[in-house]
Amino acid sequence: MRLSTIMTEMVARVILLPTLVTALALLVKGYTSAGDGFSAGVVAGTVVAIQFIVFGPREPIARFPSPRHAPLLAFGGVLLALAVAFAPLLWGDPVLTQYPRPGEPVVHIGALAFHTALLFDVAVFLLVFGFIISVLGGIGSFERHSQGGES
Amino acid sequence: MPEVLRVLAPLVVALLGTLLVAVLGSLRPRVAAPLAVASAAMALVAALAMPAGASVDLSWAPTWGLRLSFAADGLARLYALLATGIGLAVLVYAAGYMPRHLAHAGHGPERAVRLYSLILLFMTAMLGLVLAQDLVLLIVFWDLTAITSYFLIGYEQEEEESRQAALTALLVTGISAILLILAGVILFVHHGTASIPAILARSEAGPIATASGVLIAVAALAKSAQVPLHFWLPRAMVAPTPVSAYLHSAAMVAAGVFLLGRVHPLIALSPPLRDGLVVVGFASMAVGGGLALAQVVLKRLLAYSTVAQYGYVVVLLGLGEVAGAAFYILAHALVKSALFMAAGAVTEATGQEQLDRLGGLGRALPGLAVGSGLAAAGLAGLPLTAGFFKDEVFFAGAAARGGPIPILAVAGAALTFAYTWRFWAGIFLGARRGTVQPLPLALTAPVLLLGLLVALGGIVPAVGARLAAAAGESMALEATPLALAYHLDRHAPNLMAVTTWALGMVAIVTAARWARVPRAIAAIGERYGPDRSMLVAIDTLTRFSRRLRAFEVQSLQRRIATILVSAAILVGATIVLAPPWPTFTLGDLPASDWPLVLFLVLAALAGLLATRSAGRATLVLALSAVGYSLAAVFTFIGAPDVALVAVLIETMMTVLLLGVLSLVPRDVAEPPSEPEPRDRYRSRAVGFVAAAFAFVVSWSALSWSAPDATMASAHIDLAPAAHADDVVTAILADFRGLDTLGEITVIAIALLGVLTFFVSEKST
Repeated sequence: MRLSTIMTEMVARVILLPTLVTALALLVKGYTSAGDGFSAGVVAGTVVAIQFIVFGPREPIARFPSPRHAPLLAFGGVLLALAVAFAPLLWGDPVLTQYPRPGEPVVHIGALAFHTALLFDVAVFLLVFGFIISVLGGIGSFERHSQGGES
Repeated sequence: MPEVLRVLAPLVVALLGTLLVAVLGSLRPRVAAPLAVASAAMALVAALAMPAGASVDLSWAPTWGLRLSFAADGLARLYALLATGIGLAVLVYAAGYMPRHLAHAGHGPERAVRLYSLILLFMTAMLGLVLAQDLVLLIVFWDLTAITSYFLIGYEQEEEESRQAALTALLVTGISAILLILAGVILFVHHGTASIPAILARSEAGPIATASGVLIAVAALAKSAQVPLHFWLPRAMVAPTPVSAYLHSAAMVAAGVFLLGRVHPLIALSPPLRDGLVVVGFASMAVGGGLALAQVVLKRLLAYSTVAQYGYVVVLLGLGEVAGAAFYILAHALVKSALFMAAGAVTEATGQEQLDRLGGLGRALPGLAVGSGLAAAGLAGLPLTAGFFKDEVFFAGAAARGGPIPILAVAGAALTFAYTWRFWAGIFLGARRGTVQPLPLALTAPVLLLGLLVALGGIVPAVGARLAAAAGESMALEATPLALAYHLDRHAPNLMAVTTWALGMVAIVTAARWARVPRAIAAIGERYGPDRSMLVAIDTLTRFSRRLRAFEVQSLQRRIATILVSAAILVGATIVLAPPWPTFTLGDLPASDWPLVLFLVLAALAGLLATRSAGRATLVLALSAVGYSLAAVFTFIGAPDVALVAVLIETMMTVLLLGVLSLVPRDVAEPPSEPEPRDRYRSRAVGFVAAAFAFVVSWSALSWSAPDATMASAHIDLAPAAHADDVVTAILADFRGLDTLGEITVIAIALLGVLTFFVSEKST
């Protein structure tokens, strides 16, 4: 029972890039409006999940970098978060100090503001996104495996 | 070199060694052993170079009062020397021992890499433990020693016995470690600080000091294998010999009495607790010494001897003789590590590990005989060895207390004398039994070296005495001079020592007459002892858990019922214990809230539809309709971030559920025919009970005026300072960043579990 018709395939193809851009926007604008690393990760993960469901597990794996590397993304995210959390110890500030400190000026490039908290959010994004892809890839390879047994 | 580095150098060196050996060793197994020995040697040098009294104090989470606080006081220096020095000897020995040992079992030498790395990790944990001046750090390193010991004892993971022994050790020392955490919480809450010196300075006699003292003592005594929690130690001797040598002398078991020393002022506040220590110590001396007489397996004999020997130390600590206890630990560490390594070397040379199959090896293994002979003389407390003084401080402490204590002390020491003779003479004297293969230098040299150190400690006792006096001072928080010298007069310790030797010799000469008694006691102990009761307890728990699981996994309905009913029981208990009845209120309903009600009604309708739905796809869509309606409610009460997350999660769930349905064959995907009426009624009953409780609790919770409104407004006020317009993101990433860090760590661990599941499913 594959949910694959011409309609769904076309929609899935079309929404992929815009959704990823939306996720990016949710991520970087988290500090000024609704959204954060978690929401961005879920949005990006959902659109990839749709690819998996519509095209079956095989084609996304051919089209994207292999989901085998997704766990690296997730655990890389955890490492990044830990690094952001513990780096302030190096120059004598408590753990999880975010820069710039209150009262200090923020660096802007266009509408984008640079905080270390943003890096922390990126870490959360990587973890959530990597988690979803890893699980999807796992289920997908599992299904291919069991199908391989039949054919 | 900055002081920070000088204090932490041994710790850092050992940790780097652990990582280097693990990484480089896995690439090139041959470099692992030399690298491990070099790391241990450098750690020893760093421990020797630690400046006395220097300390490090870094605040790393100031709002929680967490500090990285280390100090190289006398106690820490003594233990650091032991951990690194004995560790070095053990690693040299292991470099010779492990390749041969593994070859016997048909394994390649590359398996030894893990052992070297773990021994260095153990060293790191011990160094951290003894240097720590903060309760949190102390507990972390305490648990690290327990975990490392688990992997070391269970090193031969294919052997059932080895895994069991490791689990027993972890259970006994790990469960008792919870008591230590409990004591830590009590002390932290009562004194408002986690700094150990501050807590010790502020402690006063009273229920708090007694309760925390008792909890800490139980944890420490379990670690030091004291009666009745001693049984894990003799089992742990299934580990490779270098591990046993380290565990019994300078690491695991020594950590217990270290902790008693570290919090000595707290324990000293409670005389009954001190008397309890004396009782436990003597009981361990009796049980350990008596059972050591019954053992035929070399390492098992030594393991019971360790139980008895730490009994001496616990007695000394109970008597308040802290400097004496420190000297005892020092002397025993040298002696016991040498004897273990000698036992392993003898087994390696002859292939035998039982006393009754060994004998007369003195000529064939002269170096080993001399080295272990000196160590055995030390264990028995003969003059011209450091052991003489370990017994002297013990006898002096016992004589000062008077009463029955000196008699018990002499009896315990006589037992030691007897089993030590049985061990050494049984291997090296008498008729020659067994064939001997030549041993490499790495197996003999550490034993000989440690034996010579034991002798040197008996000829020049001042060095050890100075170390012990400094350690005693940092335990008692006052000067505890310790002067050791030979007195050729009739003062009490000398008389007691002579009596001990006489009794011991009588015991040896008459051994044939009473040899059956300890064996009978050992047999009774095996059948009814604490070891057995723990097995029964674990067995019962396992069976209970299996039965619960068997009930739960029978059907989805039962599983859901288990979750919902137990949740209802918990909630019901809180309602009964703390009735929320007066707090139920009905608010008014302004017109602006009407859209909200509309969406709530929509959610309820979708929920009803879900219970009536015919196909599984309809069910999924109905459930997601519930979720979307609730998300819409959040937008109406002005929580766009929450609404966004709710919508996203709902979408994700719907997509995933549909995806899963697409994987399931069509005939399975349709719901089964009508369920049994009985099942249907039961489901309805469970659903009704759970829903009723959820309703009551939600109503009660909503009737409270939001208690954390002040917190919320504080966060909102803080948001501009954090350069954020969106307060929710600022809370997640900045104000409560630590919570987020914890949560993502949990997610990462869950991912590990999922990946493991996929890998194991694929391989089956």
